[in-house]
Parts: sequence; C-alpha cells; structure tokens
Amino acid sequence: MRIRLGLIYLSAAVAAALVAGCRVNRPAADHAKQQILYRATPSDPRTFNPILITDATSSTLTGDLLESLIRVNPITLLPEAGLAEKWEIAPDNKTITFHLRHDVKWFDGQPVTSHDVQFTLNVIYDPKVPNSFQPILLIDHKPIVSETPDDYTIVMHLPKPFAPLLYSIGIPAIPAHILEPIWKAGNFNHAWGIDTPPDKLIGNGPFHMTRYVQSQVVQYERNNDYWMKDEHGGQLPRLHGQAYSVVQDRNAEYLRYLSGQIDVYGPRPEEVLDLQQKAERKELDITVREIGVDTGTLFFTFNRNPRHYVKNGVTNPKLNWFTDLKFAQAMAHMVDKKSIISLVYHGLAVPAVADISPENKIFHNPDLKDYDYDPKLAADLLEGAGYHLSKPGVRTDPKGNRLEFDLTTNTGTPDRDQMCAIFKQDLEKLGIKVNYRPLEFTTLVDRIDSSFDWDCLLMGFTGGPEPNDGANFYRSSGNLHLWNPFQPTPATPWEAEIDTLLDQGASEMNMAKRPPYYWKIQQILHDQLPIIETVRQKRFASWKNSIENYQPKVWGLYKPEWIQFKAD
Amino acid sequence: MTQFLLRRLLNMIPLILGITFISFLAMSLVPGDFLSNLKMNPTITPEVIKQLQAQFGLDQPLMVRYAKWLWGVLHLNFGISLSYRVSVTSLIESRAVNTIILSASSMLFSWAIAIPIGIIVAVNQNSVWDRVLSFLAFFGMSVPSFFLAFLMMYLALKTGWFPIGGTFSVDYATLDPMSKIADRINHLILPVFVLGISGTAGLMRLMRSQILEIKNSEFVRTARAKGLSERVVIYKHVLRNALNPFITMAGYSLGDLLGGAALVEAVMNLQGLGLLLLDAVRSLDIYLVMGSVLMGTVLLLIGNLLADIALVAVDPRVDYSSVAAE
Repeated sequence: MRIRLGLIYLSAAVAAALVAGCRVNRPAADHAKQQILYRATPSDPRTFNPILITDATSSTLTGDLLESLIRVNPITLLPEAGLAEKWEIAPDNKTITFHLRHDVKWFDGQPVTSHDVQFTLNVIYDPKVPNSFQPILLIDHKPIVSETPDDYTIVMHLPKPFAPLLYSIGIPAIPAHILEPIWKAGNFNHAWGIDTPPDKLIGNGPFHMTRYVQSQVVQYERNNDYWMKDEHGGQLPRLHGQAYSVVQDRNAEYLRYLSGQIDVYGPRPEEVLDLQQKAERKELDITVREIGVDTGTLFFTFNRNPRHYVKNGVTNPKLNWFTDLKFAQAMAHMVDKKSIISLVYHGLAVPAVADISPENKIFHNPDLKDYDYDPKLAADLLEGAGYHLSKPGVRTDPKGNRLEFDLTTNTGTPDRDQMCAIFKQDLEKLGIKVNYRPLEFTTLVDRIDSSFDWDCLLMGFTGGPEPNDGANFYRSSGNLHLWNPFQPTPATPWEAEIDTLLDQGASEMNMAKRPPYYWKIQQILHDQLPIIETVRQKRFASWKNSIENYQPKVWGLYKPEWIQFKAD
Repeated sequence: MTQFLLRRLLNMIPLILGITFISFLAMSLVPGDFLSNLKMNPTITPEVIKQLQAQFGLDQPLMVRYAKWLWGVLHLNFGISLSYRVSVTSLIESRAVNTIILSASSMLFSWAIAIPIGIIVAVNQNSVWDRVLSFLAFFGMSVPSFFLAFLMMYLALKTGWFPIGGTFSVDYATLDPMSKIADRINHLILPVFVLGISGTAGLMRLMRSQILEIKNSEFVRTARAKGLSERVVIYKHVLRNALNPFITMAGYSLGDLLGGAALVEAVMNLQGLGLLLLDAVRSLDIYLVMGSVLMGTVLLLIGNLLADIALVAVDPRVDYSSVAAE
C-alpha cells in the first residue's frame, strides 16, 4: 500500500511538473497591433437567423453581418441611408420607392438586389415563420405589397399612410439565392441556427463571422468588399476583426475589463466610481463617460382590470381604490425618487417624469411637471377622498375596508427589490399595508397576461426611437396595456383618446407634425396615472484609450465603421 | 449474479419512466411557459405567440406531449431546445465533455488529497495534526464554493498567474497542439481547486471516522495480537475494510458529474452543463431540461449498479445471489 500511495504522489508530482512545464506559446495578445476589438456578451446567441431573432444578444451578434434597408442615426434618431441610398414618398402618402445601392455584394460575390428585399418581406409575412418583424410591418393587419421594377428599385404600397414604417422597415435583407430554396422547402425555421458553420452565414455587412464556440467566443473578420468608404476613399470598417467572449457573470466581465482582456465595457453604477478612480490614478489607461440615461421606462402600476376584481357580481374594493384618481395621485406623491436614486443607484440616475425617455429627442414630452415626493400632500389627498385613519397606522376606505394590497415584481433584480422596499416603507407610514411578493419572471408574466392576479406591479419596458412600436402598451386593446389589457372597447374616455391619438400619429407622414400626438399621450398618462414613473438610470461607457473613434450613444455606436486602434 | 443484474436492469425501467414523468409534470405545472419571456416584448403580438406555440407543440395537452417526447427518446431523438432551436443532444454533447473533464479532475483532486490526509489524521488521532487538519477541513467545507471562486478570480487578476475564467483562450484555435493542452490545463487549475476543495473536507472526515471505527474492531486487535506491524495492520486490514462506503460514493458521484457546479460555472465562466440546465429550468425550456434529467438519471442508476458490482469484487462478504433468491 505504501508503494501505491507513493505512486499517487509520484503522479501528482508529474502532473504538477507538466502544469509548470507546459507553457502556452503565443505571440503576446496585442489587440491594437491586430486591430481586433474584444468585447463581452452576457449570453449565447439563440439563432443566427436575423428574421427569427427575439433576443438582444442574437441581434447584437448578427448585427454586423447584415446591412439593413435603412438605418437610424443614433444621435439625431432620424432614418438615414443603409442598403437604400435614398427613398421617395409619393404624394398619396401610401407609396414609398426605395433606391438600393448598386455596389453592395453578398459575401459570396453575388450582388444585393431588390429581389432580396422583396424575398425578406415575403418571409416576414409568412404565417409559418413566426417572427417579431411581422407585427410591426402589418398595417391594420394588412401586409405591404411590394414590386421590383428593376434590380435596384423596390416600390412598397401601403394599405394606408403609416409613418412608423420608416423605422420598422430597418429590416436586415437576407440573401434570396441562399435562403429562398430553403424557405420554399418549408425549412426556414431551422435555417441559420447556431449549429450553422459560420462561413455559411452569407451576409453583406461590415464583418463576416469566422468562428463560434458555444459559451466561449464569437469571432469576426472584416469584409474587405464592404461598400462603405471613409472621406479619403479608404476601406471601412477600419478594424480588422472583432471577438465577443461569452461571459455570463457581470462580475467576471468586469474582471476581464480590468485585466485588459476586453477593450470596452458598460459599467454598472457601483463600478463607475471605481473605474473613474482607476483612470485618474493612471492605474488603467481608460476613458469613462456618461452617455445618457436609460431609453426605457420603469414604473409602478395598479391593476384596474374588472375581470380580476369583479367576481359573481361582487366588486373587490381594491378596484374602486385603484381607479380613483385621488388615490393614484397620492401614490404618485409617495414615490421617493431622491432616496431611490441615492440608495439604489448610488446617485447615478435621474427622476423619470414622462413615459418616453428624454433620450428620444423627437418624441419625449419635456413639459410635464413631476409629482414631488410629499407624504403630507398624499395624506391630504387620501383624507379628501374619504380614506381615513381609523386607528393609528391603519387607513381604511370610505366603506371601512383596510387599505392593503400586494406589490410584486420579477425576482433576481436587486434594484427593483430595493425600490419596492422603499415604496412599501413609505406607504406604511400612511397606514397602508403593502405585502411585497416578488415572483419568478415566467410566473409574473402569466399573471399579467392570463390570470390578471396582481394588485401593484413594478415593471419596466425598453424603449425605441419609434413610439408606435409601443402600441401594444398604449392601446386599450393591446396585450401589454398592463392595467387593463385586451379591452373590447376603451373603458375610459382618456383610454379612447389615446387610441385615437395613436392612429393619428401613425398616419401623419410629415415627421415634423408627428411629435405633438405623442406628447399628448404622455400628458394623458401623466395626468391619469395608470403608470407612475420612477427613475431612469444613467448610462456609462468605458473604453481603452488605445481605441480611436469609439462613440457610444445610448441608442448604439455612432459611426462604428470608423473605430480603430491608434497606430503606435 | 446474472440474475441480480437482470433484475436491477429491469427495475430501472419503471424508475426512469417515473422520474421523467414527474419532471415533465413539474415543468408543465409551473405557471407560464417558455414563450412567457416573449410576451412582455412590445413588438411581439399574441398572434405571433400562438404561431410559435403551434410550432413548438406547446398548445397540446400534457399527456400527448409526454407521449411524443417518450416516443422520440425511444428513437434516440431527444427533441429540440426551445430557446436555442437546435437538438438537445448537440447542446448537451458540446458541454458534457467540458463538464466531465472538470468534474473528473476535481474528483481526483479531492480524493488524492482527502484519503491520505484522512488516514494520517485517523492514525494520529487527537494529535496536533488531527486538530489542525480537521479545522482546515471544516473551514473548507463551510466556505461556499462560489465565494471561493470569486477569491480565486481575484487572485488570478492580481497575480496574472492564471487566466480569468473561461475554458480556453480566445486565440485557442491558432495555437499549436502542445500549447492547446497547456492552455486547457492552465484554465482548469483554479476551477479544479475550487470544486475539489469543498469535496475534500467531507471525504476526509468520512475516511477518518471509518478508520477510527475499524481500528477498534476485534479483527484488528487479533491482527495486532498476531504480531503484525502497525503499517501492515493499517494498510492491509483497516484500510481495505474502510473502503466500502467510498465505492458506493463513487457510484453516486457519477450522476453528480454532470450537474452540480452551476454557481462556480457562472462565476468562472466555464461552459458546463450545470449552468445550461439552470438557464433551461428558469426559461422553461422543457425539452432541454428533460434531456438533462434523463441523462442524469441514467448515469446515477448505472453508477449505482457499477458500485454494487465493484463492492463484490472488493469485499468477499458481499453476496448478491442470496438477495436475488428472495
């Protein structure tokens, strides 16, 4: 036995020697010399098929493979040329003609033509291909009819004037010569899955994919035939390649940035200060910059759905409170945005007033007045509406029911947890009992969507440049009209007004005349308080100083093709 | 023995059916389904959700779906992962190798440390060594492995001796074969240490108590009375008798090989099965979960069987023919 134990130690020693002796022979990883930008992505792609994508990671990872028909400028938020060099809107406001560039080629050398764009539209409208482009490209449930007079012109006939089209038509064109046979054979839903060899992903964008290893890395090389040239006629993009490491854990990603393994990073509030100090003390040669605030919205909302609260002809008193404007105003005055900002976001957030983020410079309504945190005023409002303190710490409605409700949000989001805790504590000072019960996201969605079994909810939505993309939220018949979804006819006059404004805003083709409709919608939501806005986090970006022309905006990178590492 | 094996194998069938059915039921009874995650996306309408439900077969009743899944499994088709849209087999395959390498190395690591230390400590019961090593063992047991993982990542960042997470380097494909192996080993050291150290403590304590128990039994006294040297007594008599529970444990850990390191995987960015399974459960990706459950179950059952067979080989007192005859 002694010999055997000896053997174990001997093999251990050999192993240790191996470990010590094996050296990885590699040229020092020099991102700048290689002109390869290293980044991190929080999860694996779900698919490389641009039409089937429903998650953010997959769209980031396929974004550089395909050029979209038109782009949105991340600074002005206006549509600008992409695959389509220019476009004209006919006087009837229902016909749009797109003129494609003549110099765009697929990676296999085939030209990109109007047939590719038309094919893309056909796939999107195919009911057997469920995808997220379809709803935003259906106008009154009717598809756009397109024709291709020549290889570089595509004419789209809309069923009625529809201004949001210029944002929603930013679809990536897919190669008909590759994918049409697959689509005709009925296999489109399995085309370009994550098991596709990267060289089979035929795109037309600035980079092509060279390698994907599950949960590890996605690598790209520059497309030397890309159509864009810089002001001196130089080939774009300037980077020779890109690599995304899949790093699920945020702390691990941060460590990678600190060690220089990745070149750019979007720091969280608690990391911003740390990075700024490291930059000041010259520990790291990096830039940390505030780039704006969250483009989405994060709000409390109270359930106003009679399908949940009226059972067998008996109305739950909660429905009366939650539809009472005075109650809603009192609640709005109880959201302590200052404390939320300092306690939850380390001061790196701003109060949110309008539902559309101020980052949406076109549609944000800047004239709304915030509901200040004012427990005294809130108490007066409640007293005035008949909600009295029956004994200390217990507030009841005019019929004597104790004010008590459930507050919920999804689990696994510490910032929402803390916000709910702050809101709960404040309401308890008014004698309102709040039961905080966070739920797993899928369970929560089931309650919002099917059983309607919730009282008060802290919920967030991401925002886009086109407010009509949120129509499912604004419209009373929408499935995301959280407080009372799927209404056959609008339950209140102001919900009816929002429905009308949405229709008007969408059919106004003159861009300059559109914003007032959406300002009014924000005004109504602000006055009627179906949603009570909270705060918007500030967004930061950090990058190594060896990178030039890196211009992150909250809506995306500005002129990403110009990014490069400084020459030594 | 043959009869015993046959009975055990037949017994596995109802077990596997039961376990998979209960898991399937549990996954289906959770409110919401895989598509719930899409329902909060403003650009995805209920119509698209319905189309997707039909495409994935989620609109069918539970029993029909289970029967279809089972039928597929009998033909070695484990279904399609809902979130990745590729076959469950290909997803599990690509990660299983990593997980097996990692788990097997950390198991070897902890056994190689725990057993010798367990012996030393038991033989020198109540000595200073016993106290110190037992203290360290309890310490190792009580430090959560994900925390240890964070500490190690910090160490890697500060010293630069080890890579910060991952299974291999970004430029792995361009390396020469020896460097590839070295790169892999280099990435394995910290995870193996983190995963191994938490198992070490338990194993060591087990070894110690086993030996202490047997050391005082009558046959050991007999052996000593025969005048055998202490070395022969310990290694030849005590140790051999102490090994039985370890063989059983080895069998069990075959099932564990593929699961239990999700937290460490997340922190150290290792693409293993644990994290894949955890994500699958959270997003209700039912076929991916079922594939993992099935694999785990089969491995556990086979591991147990192998352990039982190994026991016969090691310990002549164990005899299954009498069990089979009952």
